[in-house]
Amino acid sequence: MRTHLKARPVEILLVEDNPGDVRLILEAMKEGKMHNNVSVAVDGVEAMAFLHREDGHAEAPRPDIIFLDLNLPRKDGRTVLAEIKQDPQLRRIPVVILTTSKADEDVLRSYDLHANAYITKPGDLEQFIKVVQSVEDFWVQIVKLPME
Amino acid sequence: MDLSSINTGSIDIDHIERRDRQLWWIAVLVILVLTVTLIVTHAPGLVGATKGLSTQVKTYSVGLFLLVVLFCFYVLQSSSTFRKLRGQLLETEQDLIFTTHSKSYVDNILRSMGDSLIVVNPDGTIRTANDRTFQLLGYTPSELIGQPARRIFAEQEEEFFKGLGFSSLDPKGFIRSVEKQFLTKDGTRIPVSLSGSVMSNDDGNIQGIVCVIRDISERKRTRDLLERYAKELARSNAELEQFAWVASHDLQEPLRMVASYTQLLAKRYKGKLDSDADEFIAYAVGGATRMRRLINDLLEYSRVGTRGKDFEPTDCETVLEGTLADLQTLIEDSGAVVTRDPLPTLMADATQLGQLFQNLIANATKFRSSETLKVHVGAERKNGAWLFSVRDNGIGIEPEYWQRIFVVFQRVHGGEDFPGTGIGLAICKKIVERHSGRIWVESQPGDGATFYFTIPISGDESPCVLT
Repeated sequence: MRTHLKARPVEILLVEDNPGDVRLILEAMKEGKMHNNVSVAVDGVEAMAFLHREDGHAEAPRPDIIFLDLNLPRKDGRTVLAEIKQDPQLRRIPVVILTTSKADEDVLRSYDLHANAYITKPGDLEQFIKVVQSVEDFWVQIVKLPME
Repeated sequence: MDLSSINTGSIDIDHIERRDRQLWWIAVLVILVLTVTLIVTHAPGLVGATKGLSTQVKTYSVGLFLLVVLFCFYVLQSSSTFRKLRGQLLETEQDLIFTTHSKSYVDNILRSMGDSLIVVNPDGTIRTANDRTFQLLGYTPSELIGQPARRIFAEQEEEFFKGLGFSSLDPKGFIRSVEKQFLTKDGTRIPVSLSGSVMSNDDGNIQGIVCVIRDISERKRTRDLLERYAKELARSNAELEQFAWVASHDLQEPLRMVASYTQLLAKRYKGKLDSDADEFIAYAVGGATRMRRLINDLLEYSRVGTRGKDFEPTDCETVLEGTLADLQTLIEDSGAVVTRDPLPTLMADATQLGQLFQNLIANATKFRSSETLKVHVGAERKNGAWLFSVRDNGIGIEPEYWQRIFVVFQRVHGGEDFPGTGIGLAICKKIVERHSGRIWVESQPGDGATFYFTIPISGDESPCVLT
């Protein structure tokens, strides 16, 4: 039986428009032991182009996990979520919503659109790091991801 | 017939009495004379002079005597008849006086009363109306009496009585304080309040409806003004709530950036830059952290209004148990012993009530003394409200601070000794006021503190919209 060895780096797609948050997440990931390759899309349109390997993203790797902010320019995160989960080629990829919103409607809507998890960005740095680490640990170490 | 014109002097009862008495005397006198005559004419040997009188004269005199006796009987009877008549006349006179006085008394009432009084016939026409009615409406009596009553109301309903609220003319029917509009002669509308009762006579026949109508222009003006102010106040409050929420919400992101990166700086460069840098960064981090907490608390404070739910029957025991479960770690760590009285069920927002208990009990654990902390939650019914109390044996609060502690962000013990932003009690106050209650504290330094709050039982059981 083929064991789940992570010989190659974990491919992460981070869809986030706030450069401060992007850097924070990257720094948080650096704290971990995972070998990651993080790609960043700053809006919903770029995110979809990356996933479909279009518009200059022909060589884009297929992400093992997607961190998705909800409030994005050009194409909203909720739309991106819907499109990913409706696309047979993309819907198996776990999508973790990472947003500032605590609103119940957003939580419900995200799960309705089949988000795999919903996380509100913590205000405290240590918390933030812990959360990002936990997500990585859980989704990459513990959870069995579909082989593609 | 105008009763006030009857002159009781035209039936002179005294005159009749005098005649009556005169007749009596005449009768007595005549009987006396005749008796003497009889004795004289018939008594043998009494008076010699009468011996020669013939038998004819004697018979005539007897006959005459009998006639006179009969006449006397007649007089006597007339007298008693007169007496009865006199009695009846006296009664009638009394009745008339009484009726006249009553009638003019009642007329006076109708004339003087400040409200309009109208009697409406069963056919809907106006039968009677008082002075005030004519005054209010600007009509003369002749213009109003006999006219259909609906003419004087702005709402020209076909079925006058149905319009008033009488589904049928039931002898016991009445309506209270129906608001309508008078329509005056010159077309002005006057808001009025109308009460009416069905009038029926002794035989049970319906004679009409008597209505008392009050001009409520002033009252309505005041009421409309009050409504406007209340709406304005509610709108202003809603705006403030929204502003507080939006401000707090939008401040979160930049604040997160400041807080996170100062913390990252501290983490990454502590000891790698000079000690001044470490100190500066520490202050920056401290400031950012406090600011974040303040904004979160402010958000929570504004949410008391914006996220408040409608009141439902709430079992306070259940709420308190939930709160104690949430605070379990805190209670265990502080070694507190929590006791309580039986708690009632009342109309409230359960979530907010839980918040209230939580803040008060958490405060008790925070401001405890060196003794084992004892917290007692009490409830008693007083003056139409439930009076709750949360008593502790902690460090207490000086009287000069009893008011201040309920103000947003006001703290007695600042700095690091007792953590917190000072919003807990302000939130408690807002919650209590939303439930139309009052909250206060009684305490002595070193002797613990008792927080009291009331929740009214009866009356308007919806959340106070002005908080």
